[in-house]
Amino acid sequence: MADSVEEIQKSVKTYMKVFGALIILTFITVGLSKVEMPTHGQNILIGMIVASFKAALVGLIFMHLNHERSTIYKVLAFTSVFCVVLFVLFYMAHGDPLVDPLFDSTSAAAKGH
Amino acid sequence: MDIPYTVSARPDTGLYNAKVGIWLFLASEVMLFGGLFSAYIFLRVGADYPWPIHELEVLPGFVNTMVLIGSSVTVVMAWASLKMRKIGLFKFYMAITVACAGIFMCLKAYEYNKKFHHYAVTLTDGTVLTGHLPEGYKVKFGEATELSVTIQSETAAIDGDPAGYVFPYLDGVEPASFKLADGTEVRLDKSGFAEVRKRVVAEAREKVRIRKARFMEQKAELERELAALEGSSDGEKIAKTKGRILGVQRAHDLLNVVPPTTLKLTSSTPLKFAVKPSKIFGYTANSLTFRDGTIVTGKLIDDAMKLEVDGVDTRAVVDKEKSLAWDKKYLGQDWKQVWMARRDHAQGKFKEDYGDKRDPLKSATLQKESYYLHIESTNPTDHAPESAGHSAALTSPVLASGAHSDGHAAHPALVLEKKDITFFSNFTPKLNTFYAIYFTLTGLHGLHVIAGAAVLAWFWLFNGKLLRSNPEHLANRVEVGGLFWHFVDLVWIFLFPLLYLL
Repeated sequence: MADSVEEIQKSVKTYMKVFGALIILTFITVGLSKVEMPTHGQNILIGMIVASFKAALVGLIFMHLNHERSTIYKVLAFTSVFCVVLFVLFYMAHGDPLVDPLFDSTSAAAKGH
Repeated sequence: MDIPYTVSARPDTGLYNAKVGIWLFLASEVMLFGGLFSAYIFLRVGADYPWPIHELEVLPGFVNTMVLIGSSVTVVMAWASLKMRKIGLFKFYMAITVACAGIFMCLKAYEYNKKFHHYAVTLTDGTVLTGHLPEGYKVKFGEATELSVTIQSETAAIDGDPAGYVFPYLDGVEPASFKLADGTEVRLDKSGFAEVRKRVVAEAREKVRIRKARFMEQKAELERELAALEGSSDGEKIAKTKGRILGVQRAHDLLNVVPPTTLKLTSSTPLKFAVKPSKIFGYTANSLTFRDGTIVTGKLIDDAMKLEVDGVDTRAVVDKEKSLAWDKKYLGQDWKQVWMARRDHAQGKFKEDYGDKRDPLKSATLQKESYYLHIESTNPTDHAPESAGHSAALTSPVLASGAHSDGHAAHPALVLEKKDITFFSNFTPKLNTFYAIYFTLTGLHGLHVIAGAAVLAWFWLFNGKLLRSNPEHLANRVEVGGLFWHFVDLVWIFLFPLLYLL
């Protein structure tokens, strides 16, 4: 944790660099969205990769996650796991619609059940 | 009581307490926004209409991104300044941070306001026209002299209330009084109608009471008959009488609900109504049903919609060249030529750029460029590319609306027939799932901005005593407030590309 005046003065320089990087990355995000990738999905993927990179900069530098105590990493580890589970649940629900009786009955008929 | 570990670290966690607290809170916030982002993916993947891409104005979103990034830097600089005891700088950076939040919310308000006043109209063939309704949209109904008001005697969801549901939509003066079928005059304002209701409900109850009493009389009569038959050998007649007694008793018991009463009221002067479609149940050429169940008999005057068109979306139309938008009563052939020229241009360029390497049907951008026509003026010739060889003569019946005082460009004004419209809405959550999730995500994010700015403004303006007595404690507060602020910035970093760019 940056607590001494010298360390803070040093990190102020880092903050300014990150600020510059975030501004440049925002321009890049807008620029890349205008480039037509073979599929729109790839545009989304690239956009999200840049956004994740920006988010990582904010998290690591501004939120001091690059040098934090283990208690916080433990909390965030749980959050990540639950978040992934949340997305997986959504994904599973999308792959296997729970309520679609019409679909179920026709597919069951097609299989000869 | 002193809250422990506000400045120094707690030995077991190695952190001051507020920091553990804010991270636990942020963890729950991650889950909240995680759920909403999942919902976004779900809605987008499962959308049964072309998901709007490149639809939102990028500039306000872009500026807001810069503003939030800037404020993220200033809040961390405020913390660093306070740590270094540069009080003036601390206050300066805090002020900028709060000002940034203000700018962000102003731009948000500008964006929201524009959407509230912009409309999309879906026609029967799937064509979507976007534009403005300078006069709003109201169904006009006139020559109405007869009102049929149904008054419920029991509690019901729909109950006659002309003062609340009918008269607010009168186009003109309110009638003094109405005549009932028996010739009595009644007033239908709040107190007048309350009196009518009281009388009508009392009458309806009395009728039921009389009928119930009659059943009881019948029952008593039958019981006397049964007593007379007692001891006789006519078993069949006894059984029949007993059955009739049961029947009458049952009819009496079932008569519990007091039925509604429908009053026919006549107005001496013909009434006129102008009402938003959302405020009525429906209408025909000669009747209009309000949401309190009141039916007005008269004549439909006008239910056409005057729309100043600024965009035509034919993506959902099967035969796009035969879209209703190009009908001669609407935009007509001149605009169709403009649209076709643009479509061919976009498709030609796509082929030139990618050859056969890419499937034009899979390019959402090309689909939009080809089938969505943005209209910036009243005159199709302003739009036509020179190569189109388009005749300058106008044949479409489009009325030119004048340029608007608020500065937005003039657009062709169309009069859309009601029978051609299947749905219309302003750009609010009810328009489609994109706007539903757009408003949910940005609205919730906006609330976070307001809350975060309020907390930071408090530390900046009202924590002077703490600043003098224990600046380290205030620095910790600012750090915690700042962590929340960075999180708000972090959410926007994902929202901006997802909603505005991709």
